[in-house]
Amino acid sequence: MKKSNIIRILYHAGSFLLSVFALSVLVFTISRLAPRDPLYAYYGERVEKMSVEEQEQARERLGLNASVPVQYMRWLACALHGDFGISYQYKTDVKEVLAARVGNTLLLGGMSFALIFVLALWLGLFCAWREERLTDRLICRIGTVTSCIPEFWLSLLFILLFAVWLGWLPGSGAYSVGKEGSAADRAVHLILPLTVVVLGHLWYYAFQVRNRLLEEVRADYVLLARMKGLSGKQVLRRHCLRSTMPSYLSMMAVAFPHILGGTYVVELVFSYPGIGTLAYESARYKDYNLLMVISLLTGITVIFCNMLAQGINERLDPRMRAQSKVGRGEAGGV
Amino acid sequence: MKKKIPVPSLLVLTIIVILCFACELIMTKDPLYMDLSHCSEAPGKEFLFGTDTMGRDIFSMIWYGGRISLIIGFLATLLSTVLAVVIGSVSGCASAPVDGILMRMTELILSVPGLLLTVFLQAVFGRANVYSLSVVLGLTGWMSMAKVVRTEVLQLRNTDYVLAARCLGGGFFHVLRYHLAPNFFPSVLFMAVMNVRNAIVAESTLSFMGLGLPVEEVSWGSMLSLSENALLSRSWWVILIPGIFLAGTLLSLTNLGNYMRRSTNKRHSNLGCEEKDKKIRNKI
Repeated sequence: MKKSNIIRILYHAGSFLLSVFALSVLVFTISRLAPRDPLYAYYGERVEKMSVEEQEQARERLGLNASVPVQYMRWLACALHGDFGISYQYKTDVKEVLAARVGNTLLLGGMSFALIFVLALWLGLFCAWREERLTDRLICRIGTVTSCIPEFWLSLLFILLFAVWLGWLPGSGAYSVGKEGSAADRAVHLILPLTVVVLGHLWYYAFQVRNRLLEEVRADYVLLARMKGLSGKQVLRRHCLRSTMPSYLSMMAVAFPHILGGTYVVELVFSYPGIGTLAYESARYKDYNLLMVISLLTGITVIFCNMLAQGINERLDPRMRAQSKVGRGEAGGV
Repeated sequence: MKKKIPVPSLLVLTIIVILCFACELIMTKDPLYMDLSHCSEAPGKEFLFGTDTMGRDIFSMIWYGGRISLIIGFLATLLSTVLAVVIGSVSGCASAPVDGILMRMTELILSVPGLLLTVFLQAVFGRANVYSLSVVLGLTGWMSMAKVVRTEVLQLRNTDYVLAARCLGGGFFHVLRYHLAPNFFPSVLFMAVMNVRNAIVAESTLSFMGLGLPVEEVSWGSMLSLSENALLSRSWWVILIPGIFLAGTLLSLTNLGNYMRRSTNKRHSNLGCEEKDKKIRNKI
């Protein structure tokens, strides 16, 4: 029993590393295929004034002359030592540039995730309880509408309404000028972006919860529990909700990077100093070193969360383990 | 319980599509002409929806740009659907190792956030135009559909009629065309409609950020990329009107997609409502 556990952990760790490796190859190749000269990002307009020899020297110094596999090996060797190169645009260590922004994105993304986690469960439960009645149908309608609106336009709408017309809330940045470090000011700046991210994602998950619960409610054990005298509400809360929990937890594990990615666009519209704005700037100014690390970082989060979801499924729901074995057996059949 | 056809959504969608493709007939101005003497003018008699910060007539731009947004959505979906069907059914029919590699690859691409991947690919293609953007969006949109196709094919491929067709010498594409495709068509149709929606969202988001179509090429997204200036000059119509058309189209597409989705069996809930209980009790 112990031994098989170790093997399983090794297997998962191995496939995680392999995925990350493949991802880095993919991202690196794409970034080096890009047509625009990275010299422009580093020197800006000055490149045009440089002589051919000077350009050649600069390329040599930045290591841009070697073939792509060689460049990749060099990059990998450095990356394994924790050196991801310099950002061409900021001209400092990529890690430093990132470190200054990561916290902001995690704050916004983490708070959105926590809110969505709680609200989706609650809303799904409520809708399942009021199935096909007026409140349920109304919430379903509103939910479909909010999840359809592109996030950037919703952000614009909120800025227009609350910042420009009403002037209640600030529409951009993380702090007001001169109030850096004040927590209250910070919170006020978070309200609008947070609302947009939550509204954009909430209904998808709440709807999934609702549908799972509606399937669950039609199972035979519910009938039994009702006959034993439990009220509908008790059955829904104690039995149905519990049996949907494993799938909900694994769904939310996959949702985490998704929501984090969703903050990118919102950050941009609110000019909130996070990873999203940084990714946008680096794409704009062809700062591929930075863009590559951001893609890699986000990709690793996604891979990790997917594995976490699978792990949760296998841990909490033994049926999944059996199912995946059956599935594999079938695939091997032909 | 049978699902009702979403008449309002269908109506809205039809009207928008027809008007966009017949835009030459209803445009009151040249959508590309920058009338510098009428910048940021509020909606009125001459300019039905007002003018944007560059002096272009928004009413004409809506239809002219909508056509481009719709074309991109359609082309991208066409490409991603073909890719998804081919890769998904190859993966579903192939031996376990090939299937494993293909699925790992799909999951790998899926793990790069869609928007970043699009930005990356678009950077490779250079300056964006309608076709390059459609190709990029098609290349980034096939993964989840391929997974669905694979699951369906896995269930279908051991059925007797598929085996019979193979024994009779039917090739891969024959089996795909006559036996597999008709079966997974409903679920692919639903996902294709959703892909049109996603492509339109991605196009507008990219163009809005200034990484997609440039401002001179009118689409709903690139119209919204002027919103920063519009916020400063408080010209709400520049932000509100293209967005309403965008959101309306997306909402109609979603409703249509949900209608096409296979309906789940609707038995009665075992939970029972209090009123129902009372009725039953009264009968007893």
